Amino acid sequence: MKKIKDYQSKDVQSYLSQVKDNDKDIGAFLEFNDSAEASDIEGTLSSVPFGVKDNIAVEGMHLTCGSKMLENFVSPYDATAVKKLKEAGAICLGKTNLDEFGMGSSTDNSALGVTNNPWDTSRVCGGSSGGSAAAVAAGMVPFALGTDTGGSIRQPASFCGVYGLKPTYGVVSRFGLVAYASSLEVCGILADSVDTTRTVFETIKGKDVNDQTSIDHIPASPEAKTIAVLSGDLGLSPEVEAAYKKAAEAYKEKGFSIIETTLPMLDYGIAAYYTIAMGEASANLARYNGVRYGHRSKDASNFEDLVQKSRDEGFGDEVKLRILLGTYVLRSGFQDQYYTRAQKIRTAVRNEFDSVFEKADLIMLPAFPTQAFVHGDSSLDQFQQKLADKFTVAANLAGVPSMSVPVSVENGLPVGMQLMGPVFSEERIFRAAEVLAEVLPPAACPGKMEVC
Amino acid sequence: MKTEELLITAAQAQLALPAEEEGRLAAAVTEMLDYFAKMSEVDVENLEPTTHALIRDNALRADNSNPNNKFNNNQEALIERAPESNNNFIIIPNVL
Repeated sequence: MKKIKDYQSKDVQSYLSQVKDNDKDIGAFLEFNDSAEASDIEGTLSSVPFGVKDNIAVEGMHLTCGSKMLENFVSPYDATAVKKLKEAGAICLGKTNLDEFGMGSSTDNSALGVTNNPWDTSRVCGGSSGGSAAAVAAGMVPFALGTDTGGSIRQPASFCGVYGLKPTYGVVSRFGLVAYASSLEVCGILADSVDTTRTVFETIKGKDVNDQTSIDHIPASPEAKTIAVLSGDLGLSPEVEAAYKKAAEAYKEKGFSIIETTLPMLDYGIAAYYTIAMGEASANLARYNGVRYGHRSKDASNFEDLVQKSRDEGFGDEVKLRILLGTYVLRSGFQDQYYTRAQKIRTAVRNEFDSVFEKADLIMLPAFPTQAFVHGDSSLDQFQQKLADKFTVAANLAGVPSMSVPVSVENGLPVGMQLMGPVFSEERIFRAAEVLAEVLPPAACPGKMEVC
Repeated sequence: MKTEELLITAAQAQLALPAEEEGRLAAAVTEMLDYFAKMSEVDVENLEPTTHALIRDNALRADNSNPNNKFNNNQEALIERAPESNNNFIIIPNVL
């Protein structure tokens, strides 16, 4: 397996041209950094290339969010996470594809390109950080930044067989991340090993004066002895079910105590999550009005017309749906029924996690009920995809860290499991993931780039 | 959701919906709202709402210009992102 230093390149342009060639069948990137060059900075990340989901700002590069609304927008500054990586010597190789504004589970909701799963190009790479997951799986970069509002790092990580960390809420600055659902979303990491994930996390974490919600990381105990798993019928595909059992067996083999538990609130988490996320999205996306930046309608006769037409032309279907729903649940007279109730259910979800963490150090959950599905799979429409987020949204509601870890390859496609811990327990998760990799080493994607 | 309700919501969201999109969006909105109704099954009587995942303290800073903010005294970089501008002004259609 390639180590992070194998990616260190002194001839970045030559490497970039190999990546471009490799990406023709995948479509992980929306834009390449043609001015990328090697760094003089010493350190683990020196001259290591990385990808950045295209809803995170990189100075001088586009910041499209996979939307026609921002197709031509060029960022005037770096996000804090990007800035910290650059200061450590890492090189941004390009911007990766995503579901428009992070809204989706397949990256098929991007208005600007199609991304295929490197394991099977007829299948989706997951989403919304699908381009980042595909770029890592295909060996184009050892890591890429992503964002996770309800599973957008962990689900594509599972679909593409890579590691995907959603950190504790607030631990990585959101400055330079285009806002979708501010109380839920985090900036995180997709990577090809636990060690790379750890190195990047240590580099990008920390309080930032530019993000009012950012907090210092106060590490929780790194030790884990007990892991909780869910009992009962979880509605998993046979392949995901098999991987869940394999992972639990692997931990038993390594001397961990596995306890069974239930999380009844998971069934309500989806409704609460989407109510909150859409409400916040409707407010955050109100800024796109065709005036200061972004798409402007060419046939508007007055100001109101300009705003409404620019938004209708600039946003895709899923974004409009979420703005409409968010606006509706926040309308006067409906708030108690929807938004406030959802926030109370959020409290119930947190309480449930707290009680499980009293008896277990980590919870292991599937990332998604199925493996990567085929592009346009009619059995999993947009509504069904939302319901399938039930295992991931809870970590966002509770603000706790969770990492999708590749567990096995079933019928030629990878399956990942989430390791979830209390706030600030990232190191505990990393160590447990390393133990799992000793028993079930992650498989490399067929055709993964080997040259450097 | 009735089309009338959809149009009121769309107006509040400042979205001009072409007539051919109305039916499809109304159906998709209704599907989600029906699902949201599931939340009424939960007893939330003694629960406080959680507004944010994890806030330890109120992060405040002095109300001074930030020397690290490269846009201090550099409004041009931002104004040039506007779809239409002239001489440091952003142009929009007549409002009067």
